[in-house]
Amino acid sequence: MRSISRRDEMSLAEPAALPVATSAAPRLHVLKRFTSSFKASLPAYLLLLPSLVFLALFTYGAMGRVLIDALYQRATPKAPVRFVGLDNISAVLADPAFTGAVVNNLIYAVGTVVPSIALALLFALALSRTHAVNSALRAALFLPVLIPMVAASALFLFIFLPNVGLLDYYIGRLLPVLPNWLGDPDIALYAIMVITVWKNAGYYMLFFLAGLQAVPEDVMEAAHLDGAGPFMRLRYIILPELKPTFLFVTVIAILNAVTQVDHVFVMTQGGPSNSTNLVLFYIYQQAVEHYDVGKASAATLLTLAALMGLTALSFRTMANREGGP
Amino acid sequence: MLLSRRLLLGLAMAGALAVPALAGEGPTEIDLFFPVPVDGKLARDMGTLIKEFNETHPAIKATAVYTGSYDDTLIKTRASIKAGKPPATVIMSANFLLDMQIENELTNLDSLIAADGTTKDQFLGQFFPALQGNAVINRSVYGVPFHNSTPLLYINADKAKEAGLDPNKPPQTWAELTDWAKKLTKREGDKVTQWGIAIPCAYDYCGWMMETLTMSNGGRYYNEEFGGEVYYDTPSMLGALSWWNDLVYKHKVHAPGATPGPAVSTSFISGNAAMMMLSTGSLTYVRDNAKFAYKVAFIPRNVRNAVPIGGASLIMPAGLEADKQKAAWTLIKWMTSPEKSGWWSRATGYFAPNMAAYKTPEMVDFLNKNPDAKTAVEQLDVAKPWFATYKTVPVRKNLEDEVMLVLNGKKQPKEALAAAQKAADETLKPYNAETSLKLP
Repeated sequence: MRSISRRDEMSLAEPAALPVATSAAPRLHVLKRFTSSFKASLPAYLLLLPSLVFLALFTYGAMGRVLIDALYQRATPKAPVRFVGLDNISAVLADPAFTGAVVNNLIYAVGTVVPSIALALLFALALSRTHAVNSALRAALFLPVLIPMVAASALFLFIFLPNVGLLDYYIGRLLPVLPNWLGDPDIALYAIMVITVWKNAGYYMLFFLAGLQAVPEDVMEAAHLDGAGPFMRLRYIILPELKPTFLFVTVIAILNAVTQVDHVFVMTQGGPSNSTNLVLFYIYQQAVEHYDVGKASAATLLTLAALMGLTALSFRTMANREGGP
Repeated sequence: MLLSRRLLLGLAMAGALAVPALAGEGPTEIDLFFPVPVDGKLARDMGTLIKEFNETHPAIKATAVYTGSYDDTLIKTRASIKAGKPPATVIMSANFLLDMQIENELTNLDSLIAADGTTKDQFLGQFFPALQGNAVINRSVYGVPFHNSTPLLYINADKAKEAGLDPNKPPQTWAELTDWAKKLTKREGDKVTQWGIAIPCAYDYCGWMMETLTMSNGGRYYNEEFGGEVYYDTPSMLGALSWWNDLVYKHKVHAPGATPGPAVSTSFISGNAAMMMLSTGSLTYVRDNAKFAYKVAFIPRNVRNAVPIGGASLIMPAGLEADKQKAAWTLIKWMTSPEKSGWWSRATGYFAPNMAAYKTPEMVDFLNKNPDAKTAVEQLDVAKPWFATYKTVPVRKNLEDEVMLVLNGKKQPKEALAAAQKAADETLKPYNAETSLKLP
């Protein structure tokens, strides 16, 4: 069963090829077999060609360029670039700003992924039944997703304004000393995390809502008849059924934690004192402020490797479980 | 249906390709990259200015392209140079010129000046002397000052009167300013409801304010003659940072933490801060929005009156075609002429770098109506160049990160400046290796 489903996956792009490939004599010359299968799937490749060209040009081409750039460096400003092998990578790893950014990013990832998924699940459970009130509430919770990150950051810039902002205006009545939300290195990263959670929870809620639809009704009814309370049903039926959704959302959320840094650009520029510097923003700084393409490319490669490893791992886990979202 | 759409697309593409081929006959098309670094409605004013240029110069078609902050403008300019399509001219933060020149990204303007039949001295003579330091590198002209600023002390005159202070006699020294700030701070128990003074500290602004305080404490931020040295770990900067630190933690008249420029101006406008140090570029914004009487004054001194300039120059990226270079030069000269320079100054609050602008009747009239705009110009007598080094931004950030730690109470000024100096020396190392430390 599993192998057939694999085969199905692989042949999605070339349905015409399937019968040819399976009916061909196994002892045929490899090259011949290859050409015949190629001939049969030619229309499919032709249809894919435009996308492949653009993918090659704008994704793999750029990645290749990064790979090359990461191997070159110039010793002094006027010196020509020369091949330095892995020197750039070791320079990045030795840079305290990079390790600082990695640590910040880990805190940021844990501190945004866990609360936003927990909130999303809570919302989804509360709003799983469809009626007018719930639809309105769902729309309200989904609204932050529709606001572009840059616009949301500009909005929060005013909310977080020290002393005169919306937040301080209300909290100011309670606290003796008003926090400088974005200007204090101890608080700034958490202020940024709040925005991310606010922005993403509604989006992840959608996945959980979809996942909840897939929980079999009859099992729930049976459990109900057997006297399982709401908590028991959640613990033993709903959560296990939602496992694939959890996995998928976790991957998406972690990727977001690394790739979404718009609010850092708008609100803090990585400051104060690098306390909100995330990995992607570090790469930007190396490329733009330091004008150091070699180091920026090396940091990009490290990040890409980490992300690809993470994705591969999670997809393997997903494939090992039956199905996915 | 699909085919016809494809056909249409093809035709549209062919048309798009044909247009530039035909354009050879028309006006020379040039791009101007411009940033909007301060509060206000600069983008709209720039549109007005360029529209007027195009109407009076039929042979040239200039397009103004908004490119974000000063830092963003540098990025976008560098990206277009790398892509082989540099803009014809850019309004570039005046302290990026040196770094760009080191990277061979600027057109030397000497030959264009000579082609006009003027000498370099005559050409530069139009502008305030304080601005020349950031426009001339190795005795060659690389930039033409377009809009410039100095930091100013803004005072809420109503609050000053309320506290028994005379806003017509603004504080002249750090001692007087400290005293004013103390009197202007209002507390309810431990809670501060009104701060005496606000000084911005976010990346970019923070370095400029440190240069301001260091200069008025007798010091220098960097070596004006050579891009490989900064003077962070010095008594004059230590005094400057210690005073700022004292305002926050000893006198408690300045809010703790790092506060960006827009937050400072909002705080001043809303009455939450009674005084602030901010660029003259924000003057029009304050004039339009303050619902109270305000005063502007020189930055007070501890040792001497001195401030850095800020603002931007018009530059030409390297690698331009001759006709674009010529068109851009026409645009640059037009934009920095006394009339346009004065108009831009009145619209934005920056001062006009061209001295003759202040002789035009419109400007005389304007200054009579808005005497506060005069202060920035008068302060120019004591102004000096803006710090510019090899890799200006990272070198500046080496200091700013440490200053932010001090303002947040996480480090003492002395150790912070030692750390900043060490980091900056490291950043400057490659440049020194090929200049000052490259020995025969």
